[in-house]
Amino acid sequence: MIEIHLLMLLITVIIGLIFSYLAIIEKDLLKAIGFSAVQAIAYAIAFYILMAPDIVLAYVAIAVGIYTALLVFVVSKTTRYEVV
Amino acid sequence: MRKLLPLALILAIIFIGAYLITPKLTPQTDVRPLGKFYLENSYFGDYSAKSPEVVTSILWDYRGVDTLFETSVFFLAIIGSLTLFRLNKKQEKEAKQKTEEFSGGLTLVIKSVTKIIVAMILAVSASIALHGHLTPGGGFQGGSALAVAPLLIIAAYSKYALEEHGLDKTRALILRSIGLLGIALVALVPLLSGGYIMQNQPIFPAEIGGQLVSGSLIYYNFFEFLAVGAGFTAVFLLLAIPESVFRKFLRREAHE
Repeated sequence: MIEIHLLMLLITVIIGLIFSYLAIIEKDLLKAIGFSAVQAIAYAIAFYILMAPDIVLAYVAIAVGIYTALLVFVVSKTTRYEVV
Repeated sequence: MRKLLPLALILAIIFIGAYLITPKLTPQTDVRPLGKFYLENSYFGDYSAKSPEVVTSILWDYRGVDTLFETSVFFLAIIGSLTLFRLNKKQEKEAKQKTEEFSGGLTLVIKSVTKIIVAMILAVSASIALHGHLTPGGGFQGGSALAVAPLLIIAAYSKYALEEHGLDKTRALILRSIGLLGIALVALVPLLSGGYIMQNQPIFPAEIGGQLVSGSLIYYNFFEFLAVGAGFTAVFLLLAIPESVFRKFLRREAHE
C-alpha cells in the first residue's frame, strides 16, 4: 500500500525541513547559507518525485546556485556572524 | 541539544497532523477537465500550440500574457537592483581596475575544473532553452542555468577575468535588452497579419526544414534565455565589485 516514491518524498521533505530549521537558528551566516543550499537540493529532489521537471530545472539553478551565491556576496559585504 | 527541541516539536506536530488528516482525504484519480483540454490540445487538437511540451505551450501560448507580465516583473526587479548599485562613468572605469588586495583568484585545480564545468553549463543551458518546446525546460530555466556560468567564473577567477574577455555590465545589459526587444517583437508580429497579441498558430510556421519549432515558442524561449541569463549576469558583475571600492566612492562623494 505504501508506495516507494511517496516514502522518498517524505524523507526528502523532512530533510528539507530539518535543514531549513538549522539555517534559521545558525548564527554563522556562511554555515546557514550552506544549510539552505542543502534544503534546496532536498526540495529539488522532492519536486522531481512530484513529477514537476520544469520546476526542478529552474529551482536547481536558482535556489542552489544563484540564491546561495547572492547570499555569499551579501555576507562578504557585511559581517559573517549574526549578533543578537 | 536544547536547540533541537523546537525541531522535534515541529516534526511531532507534522506527523500527528498527517496521521489524523490523511485518512479523511480522498485521492484524486483522474485528470481534471481543464488539464485534459491542455493535454489533448497542445499538439493534436483543434486549438493546437504544435508543441508536445504542455507546460511550455501553456506558458507561452495559452497563458502567454501571464508570462509576459511575469517577465516584466522580473525585469523591474533587475532594474531595481541595478539602480541600487548605480555608478557614473568615471566610477565604472575605476571599478574595472584591479584593487591592490586582489590575489588572482582561487588555485589552479579549481580554475581548471571551472573551465570544464563552465563549458558544460553553457551546453546544458542552451539545450534546456532551445529544446524547451520539446522537453521539460524553457527560456527562464535555461537562462537561470546560463547565469550560473559567469557566477562560477567570478568565484573561481574574478570579475576582472569576465571583463577582460569582453563581458562587462554594459554588454550584459545590451544582451538583456535584445532579449526583451525580441520578446516584445514576437508578441507583436501576429498583429501584422490580422491576429491578436501573442497568437502562435497558424501565424508562425510550426516546422522549419522538417524540424518541429512549435511556431513562436522557440523564439520566446530563445529571447527569454538571453534576457534572463544576461540580466542575472549584470547584477552579479555589480555585486562582485569589492566593498572597499564602494567605500572609496562613498567617501569621495561625502567630500564633494
